[in-house]
Amino acid sequence: MKFVDEFRDPELGRVAAAEILSLVEPGRHYKFMEVCGGHTHSIYKYGVDDLLPANVELVHGPGCPVCVIPMGRVDDGIALAHQPGVIFTCFGDMLRVPGSNGSLLEAKAAGADVRMVYSPLDALRIAKQNPDREVVFFAIGFETTAPSTALTLKRARTEKVANFSCMCSHVTIVPPLRALLESPDLRLDGFIGPGHVSTVVGARPFEFIPSDYGKPVVIAGFEPLDILQAIAMILRQLRDGQCRVENQYKRVVPYEGNLKALEVMSEVFGLRPHFEWRGLGFISHSGLRLSNAYAEYDAEQRFAVPGVRVADPKACQCGEVLKGVIKPWECKVFGTACTPERPIGTCMVSSEGACAAYYNFGRFAREREVV
Amino acid sequence: MSCGSEHCITCGDDGTPMTIVAVDPDRGLALCEDADGFHHTVESALVAPVTPGQSLLVHAGTAIARLGTEMLA
Repeated sequence: MKFVDEFRDPELGRVAAAEILSLVEPGRHYKFMEVCGGHTHSIYKYGVDDLLPANVELVHGPGCPVCVIPMGRVDDGIALAHQPGVIFTCFGDMLRVPGSNGSLLEAKAAGADVRMVYSPLDALRIAKQNPDREVVFFAIGFETTAPSTALTLKRARTEKVANFSCMCSHVTIVPPLRALLESPDLRLDGFIGPGHVSTVVGARPFEFIPSDYGKPVVIAGFEPLDILQAIAMILRQLRDGQCRVENQYKRVVPYEGNLKALEVMSEVFGLRPHFEWRGLGFISHSGLRLSNAYAEYDAEQRFAVPGVRVADPKACQCGEVLKGVIKPWECKVFGTACTPERPIGTCMVSSEGACAAYYNFGRFAREREVV
Repeated sequence: MSCGSEHCITCGDDGTPMTIVAVDPDRGLALCEDADGFHHTVESALVAPVTPGQSLLVHAGTAIARLGTEMLA
């Protein structure tokens, strides 16, 4: 398909890999973070890291929206799903995220009406089809997904769908990046920026990374050639002593973002003073809530939500994986007690999670290395 | 578009290229076809105006960008 096949061309991939090899400085170790879970998935799926020189290391960042949802938030969702008359809707990966006492899928098995949807629009459709029920949409995701929720809430208001509400758990990408950059246990040489978040917010929000922290950022697409090109662009900046935000994904990302999306988001959402991230703790102004203008659609105001805080399981090292401090296979329970079938931590649940991506695609290569 | 074990494009920061088959500008919706030939109803308000034949990047049922050709040259 156009816009896809060109960026999976093996010959062009080999050319990009050769360029990367020509750009690395012998004896220097490079550590780049791919911010987005979609990049992590592609890197493992297509074996991008196998094409890199040994001294170029990729660190997997916090950009999987499922992986960063804390346990207490899952518990709140389950509590809502068990309310009489409620149809609880959410994206597929969210169903399997473990709370302190089971997942939404287990709540469904126990009798709660939990339904998977592909878009917020599907949840609104369910609300229109069930006017005698309350339909709650568990809204997760970064700025890529937030406009979709915002448009759906506007549509709910226009179409006067009163039995629809939203449990807003949307997060924003810049505050956790700043928190990571302030972390003393992480040394990075550059960032592969999130392609589709940038489609909405543009490239400008990432300018603080080169200006305040002296690290280059290259916003990249999700095909293997996109990622290889982005790595080459970061290396070229480092070789030439430059440090700025570059856009490899120009076929999709305008520098100023999608202004219509930003406008609808600012109308429907406001910033929470702080929001809890799994493994990263509370980060100021990193989560979205519904604005006062849309408070009537806020499930947390419409229903009693426990709002409990639950500590992550002790055996789980998702936090260190999300910060890039350890690799997935270095976690004590990776692939043994924690597998995609029976996940302990969220990084093993979503296919964008570093642990699940590595378990599904990368572990075989590692087994070969060990042998 | 699936939430199978391989990849959940809805949940991740991911997007799917789709081609517009028909538009309903009054409702801000477009009927789009993905690479496998499946049809989807897509919110098109963020990239309006759109016309049949255009390529869109779709995430969670919403078109977030029109696909250009700058990098393909």
